[in-house]
Amino acid sequence: MRNLRIALLLALCTVLAFAPPALAQCNIHRGTRVVLYSQTDDPDVLVWDSRFRLRDYHAASFDEAQQLLPHAWLVAPGTRATVETCVSDFVLPRLINAPDNAVGIVINTGPRRNQRGWVLGSDIRPRSPH
Amino acid sequence: MRTLAPLPRITGTLLLTAFLLVALTIAVQGAFQTRASIADTFSHQSRIQAAQIALEELLRLQIVEENALRGYSLTHDAFYVDQYRAAAVAYDGMSRSIRAALEPERLARIQQLLAEYARIQNQWRDEVATPLLRHPNERLAEIDKRNKVFSDYETRIVAAIRSELETSNAAFARSTQAQLERSSYVRAFWLLLFGLLAILFNGYRSRLDRELEEERTTTEILQRAFRSESVPLPHCDVGTAYRSASRGLAVGGDVFDVYRLSDTLALLLIADVSGKGVDAAVLTAFIKFTIRGMALRHREPGAILAEFNAAFSLAVRNPYLFVSMFVGVLDTDSFDLRYASAGHDSAFIRRCDSVQLLPVTGPVLGVMEEPFETRSIALQAGDTVVLATDGLTEARDRSGSLLHESGAMRLIAGSPQGAQALADDLVVQVRRIAGNRLRDDLAILVVRVNGAGEADA
Repeated sequence: MRNLRIALLLALCTVLAFAPPALAQCNIHRGTRVVLYSQTDDPDVLVWDSRFRLRDYHAASFDEAQQLLPHAWLVAPGTRATVETCVSDFVLPRLINAPDNAVGIVINTGPRRNQRGWVLGSDIRPRSPH
Repeated sequence: MRTLAPLPRITGTLLLTAFLLVALTIAVQGAFQTRASIADTFSHQSRIQAAQIALEELLRLQIVEENALRGYSLTHDAFYVDQYRAAAVAYDGMSRSIRAALEPERLARIQQLLAEYARIQNQWRDEVATPLLRHPNERLAEIDKRNKVFSDYETRIVAAIRSELETSNAAFARSTQAQLERSSYVRAFWLLLFGLLAILFNGYRSRLDRELEEERTTTEILQRAFRSESVPLPHCDVGTAYRSASRGLAVGGDVFDVYRLSDTLALLLIADVSGKGVDAAVLTAFIKFTIRGMALRHREPGAILAEFNAAFSLAVRNPYLFVSMFVGVLDTDSFDLRYASAGHDSAFIRRCDSVQLLPVTGPVLGVMEEPFETRSIALQAGDTVVLATDGLTEARDRSGSLLHESGAMRLIAGSPQGAQALADDLVVQVRRIAGNRLRDDLAILVVRVNGAGEADA
């Protein structure tokens, strides 16, 4: 009986240890496959080489934002990617009081395939299982 | 009849009425003020809501501009260039119109954001739209990126403006609600105050009415007790009438009397005491019985009035009380009428179709000690003596004109022959002239000489 309890406890620990970690407040897991898509009226997505530049871009004035453009590339809407990490409420956009997540991704399709970058949490959509 | 108003009662009523009017005025003024204030707040809200709708239209025009540019970039169709330019013109007009509409609201933050929105959109036209229109084949990745930056920034500006407008709208809604609540409390307060004052006023009026009614009842009882019963005179008809001006007023001091001094002499008396109420009613009794006693001694009207004047001055210390009086002593055998009039100008003789005014022979009683002249007139069969109080000569028609002695004489001339019929007819005529509203009490005493050979009425 005692051995059975120990076995169950070990099994539970194993499951917890190997389960994909849920990212705090991000509501998205590492390894999740997503599609990049921004707002309906302009669905292209800017992918940044650093989460700090992503943050600076959204917090900057218009002129400052333009200065950061060499560190971003534009991907077409529908580009597929896999989530690598997520930082909750990392981006505080200028003018509006609506913090957003910074999500680290690996691009799976298109000319930028296999490139890593950072996008806004609101620029990704879960991929349909089909 | 002269009237003296009960001043403390009037003052109390006026004071309460004034309080009621003040409360009512403040309540009504407050209601109008609240209405204006709420209307102003609704006007603010209305402008904000109109700006919210216009902002969405502005965003739509911005997207139309961008889509038209995309369309041209893909198809090179000039249709999209026209669409782009039309949307750009509409965008600029709409942007100016929103800023002008919000100008009175003094929303600096929103004005600043709207100006920024317009500036960025113009910059987008210069840096993205114009190069693409010039070189539609060179859709460079750099321009696409720059377009994205514009798009992101404008999206954030629109979101910020939306948020500011919603905040302002919510603030106005809260303000309206607060005003409505405050207004409800204020209205409830004034309603309560007005209601309490009205109750107080009603109670006060009821008490006054009750007091007046009690006084009127007392006075009427006294007057009925003191009023002359119908006394038949040999060879004469006697007619009398008495009408009080209003039930609401205290009964006044009109008095008349016909009294047999002997087998052949009769006292004819009519008097009008200034004032109303119990004092005046008691005074009428004083007059009636004092004059009877004096007439039994003197039988000379002038002497009767002189003696009464002295007695009145001693007995009545009230300087506001005075009496006009006509005293006549009629010999029912010879029909000789001896009379004296203390300021009483409503005594007439009707003879055939003409009416003659009997002159005043001395001042009103209670004012000064003067001798009173006695005059004599020989009456004939068919002659009628008409004595009245000033309710007859001072009757007013609806335009306010007085009847005067001349009008009274016309009425008497046109009245029926019988003594009572004449008295009743005069009352009817005065009521008709005054629109059925007597302003003053009216007492009438009519004595018609039938002649020695005719049967008494």
